[in-house]
Amino acid sequence: MLRFIIRRLLVTIPTILVVITITWGLIRLAPGNFYTGEKRLPPAIEKNIREKYGLDKPWHEQYGRTMWGMVRHLDFGTSLKYEGQSVNAIIARSLPVSATVGILAYLLALLVGITFGSIAALKQNSRWDYGSMALAMLGISVPNFVLGPILVLLFSLSLYWLPPSRWNGFPSKNLILPVLTLSAIYMAYIARLTRAGMLEVLRSDYIRTARSKGLSERHVVVRHALRGGLMPVVSFTGPALAFLLTGTVVVERLFALPGLGNYFIQASLNRDEPLILGIVAFIAIMLLTMNLLVDIAYAYLDPRIRY
Amino acid sequence: MFRYTKEFSLGLTLATLAFVAVACSAAAKNEPFFGKTTPPEGNVLRYVTGDEPESIDPPVSSGQPEARIYMALYEGLVEYHPKTLEPIPAIAERWDINNDSSEFIFHLRQNARWSNGDPITAQDFVYTMRRALSPEQASRNAYLAYHIRYSEAYNSGAVFVKDPNTNEFLLEKDFADPVQAVSEPLSQKTINSPDEEYRATAAAPQPNSDTAFHRFMHSPPRLTLPGSEKARDKILAANPKLQAAVRGKELVAVRGEDLGVEAIDDYTVRISLSLPAPFFSGLLAHQLFRFVPRKAIEKHGARWTDPANIVTCGPFKLKHWKPYHELAVERDPMYWDAASVRLDGIHFYPLLDLATIMNLYKVGDVDATLNHSVPNAWLDVVTPKKDYMDGAEAAISYININVTKPPMNNIRVRRAFAMAIDKVTYSKARRVTKPLFGFTPEGIFNGYPQLKVDAFNPEQARKLLGEAGFPVTKKGDGSYECRNFPLDKVEFIFNTSSNNKILAEFMQAQWTQNLGITVPLRSMEFKTFMVVRSQLEYQGFSIGIWGADYMDPYTFLSLFSTADGVNGSGWFEPKYVDMLDQANRTLDKAKRFELLAQAEKYLVEAQPVIPLVTYSVNFMKKPYVKGMYPNAGSLYPWKFVYIERDPEKWDYGIPSMAE
Repeated sequence: MLRFIIRRLLVTIPTILVVITITWGLIRLAPGNFYTGEKRLPPAIEKNIREKYGLDKPWHEQYGRTMWGMVRHLDFGTSLKYEGQSVNAIIARSLPVSATVGILAYLLALLVGITFGSIAALKQNSRWDYGSMALAMLGISVPNFVLGPILVLLFSLSLYWLPPSRWNGFPSKNLILPVLTLSAIYMAYIARLTRAGMLEVLRSDYIRTARSKGLSERHVVVRHALRGGLMPVVSFTGPALAFLLTGTVVVERLFALPGLGNYFIQASLNRDEPLILGIVAFIAIMLLTMNLLVDIAYAYLDPRIRY
Repeated sequence: MFRYTKEFSLGLTLATLAFVAVACSAAAKNEPFFGKTTPPEGNVLRYVTGDEPESIDPPVSSGQPEARIYMALYEGLVEYHPKTLEPIPAIAERWDINNDSSEFIFHLRQNARWSNGDPITAQDFVYTMRRALSPEQASRNAYLAYHIRYSEAYNSGAVFVKDPNTNEFLLEKDFADPVQAVSEPLSQKTINSPDEEYRATAAAPQPNSDTAFHRFMHSPPRLTLPGSEKARDKILAANPKLQAAVRGKELVAVRGEDLGVEAIDDYTVRISLSLPAPFFSGLLAHQLFRFVPRKAIEKHGARWTDPANIVTCGPFKLKHWKPYHELAVERDPMYWDAASVRLDGIHFYPLLDLATIMNLYKVGDVDATLNHSVPNAWLDVVTPKKDYMDGAEAAISYININVTKPPMNNIRVRRAFAMAIDKVTYSKARRVTKPLFGFTPEGIFNGYPQLKVDAFNPEQARKLLGEAGFPVTKKGDGSYECRNFPLDKVEFIFNTSSNNKILAEFMQAQWTQNLGITVPLRSMEFKTFMVVRSQLEYQGFSIGIWGADYMDPYTFLSLFSTADGVNGSGWFEPKYVDMLDQANRTLDKAKRFELLAQAEKYLVEAQPVIPLVTYSVNFMKKPYVKGMYPNAGSLYPWKFVYIERDPEKWDYGIPSMAE
């Protein structure tokens, strides 16, 4: 097991470097610069800016400097657009916001998804099954940029129950709508995956064995069926958690949350190279870590898997 | 599959709820205001300013969102008038302008203080300008100060040429093209008597004119050459006379000390310009010219704007700044006019999504929104409300034409395309605009003779195209076609946005309908678009939008006074530049406007552009927010803004813009 983890970690490092290098190259390919605006600058002013930020240096020098700062000090430098703000500080500041919304949405999705998925599987072809699977289908089909505004229209603009947007710390009423909007699709996926997984497991021999041993139905479901039935859910929710933690562009934009996703989209539009690289690297690390955790969780949930 | 079950009843409940909600909003149609009108509990304004501020260091950002924040935190020699945006006294209590608007003397008030209590002096302004224009600061706004003598040379790292034997500098006039030579402005002539220079405006005795620096300013301009050897050699190689003169001479870098900004004493500033610029005092309210604290900057370097280090000079000081969330300012007791500041503070919310902004406004979480914040789809509901703010904005949209490539290098073709557009209909369709026939916005510059002739004439347009060799013929079904027009040589490019798409599609439809030519559309991401347009890497048409840097027609007309830069059409004529210069030298305001209008007419007739519309400010303001006027720049001097709790005194409609 330990060997497996070490081997995986060793592969992770070059993967991240490749991701960063490709991103770096893509930024170069995109026309325009962080200072490109509505008003085109006189050449003298453009020259001043390029000199100030070292953009007049040859490309390998710029690349070397960026990579060195990253590898050596884990420092992504200073944002070009937001003068004087370090990329590390921006990530440290916006991650908690994204993570709060993300974890809440994740927990809600797990709770509701697994509950409804299990019920659907246990009472297959009943009205419970049809009802929850219809809702799940709806959840998958309605994108969050549609669901969000509908929820806002209903609960904020018409009923004046909940604030329509903005961050107000944890816990607060402001979190309800973004968390609901964000979790809907995950809830739906998890419900469907749970149902499918459970149905398969419930028909397997070891469940039959457990039942024939005379175990209580509760024991069979919670101890045996759920554990096996959740395998597909685990492989789905691992990477999903990484995405939820690092922020989702649409929800953060819609609800004006100062999270990582919001910064990511702005940084790309602004051609803010250090910020883009920093966030990409961070998301890459999160994704790879989550995948690793999923593999470890597999070994724990399924006794057949050994590394 | 669906029987009448509990799930169905749940669906029914939701549907009922939605119906109630819609019914509620339908009932709201009869309400005079959009959403809640309960004033906030504290005496603090909550304002949506647009994009996240890049920085709170004044010379850094060029955008309007930041400009409004700077206006709370910093003050300049002058401030914008809340309605007209004309310069009003701020740190300077009054100013004198010389007889050809090429030199300005500002008298600072003696009670102006930094937020740490230090007095604000003339030296602070000199420092502010030298910093703003230094090449190291690399300010994107620096070009706004290029009217100041030697500022462009200093900002671009240029050099003077000095004879080491005589210590004399080479002069510009000895190498200038005699055809283009123009008469020197007063600011560069030898001073005979200061009374003569300031005859027209000065009320008080003039300060000492006879400083060494002032004599340096009043001497013929020195020759400046590029600081980089490569660029310099190129110029010298092209001009043998210059090359011979420069050989063996010493090159001296232009320094901040050479800038035409002088502190005559602690409370008097004199600014010398290289050209007459009657609008210059109005320009000084721009953020680039707002005072920055020398001591704090020298002590903390780039970190001087951190909340712990920052020193400001405006009516408000920084309370906290949480990026992408809010920037809060609070009343500064050190401010010279603190007694007239009416708000205890302002919370600026950086928000981009228009629907999000409108939602917050409706539920009463914000008190006013930035300009252009009402999405098109909301206009039907919102425009009849009494808190919807309308008014002409100093911003226009137009179509740039790349005049360097055929067939658009043919003036007749350009005119034909211009004449085939029905701007009045377009403007009506867009609702928040007015049709524009000249190149300066409608109804903003008082006394400016606006071009008002609508050139829309499809018949004439078809005739012109025919004369240019592209005959337009009528088909059986009544539509037109232009068979030999090279469709692969034109396109209409724009940066991706729903508004631009509507515009481009409208223009495309007009040309199809009136000329039988369907110009292909190409949309691209904003930054890509800016590069393609300014490098003339497109053929045919591109979208153009321009907002005023200061309240004078010149801020629009000067777009075409340089060949590169923001021009974007490739059209450049010295005659046009000369017409503008002649106008700026004219002292009489009415006469100057007339000359500018002639230049404008010349520009529009040459048709490197097709003017389309003047924008409207189009924003929301709760009725209890007073002292905030829908002015042409959407810039609000915050000390005049306040929250009125007595509904009797609220604004029911757009507040009067009469002074």
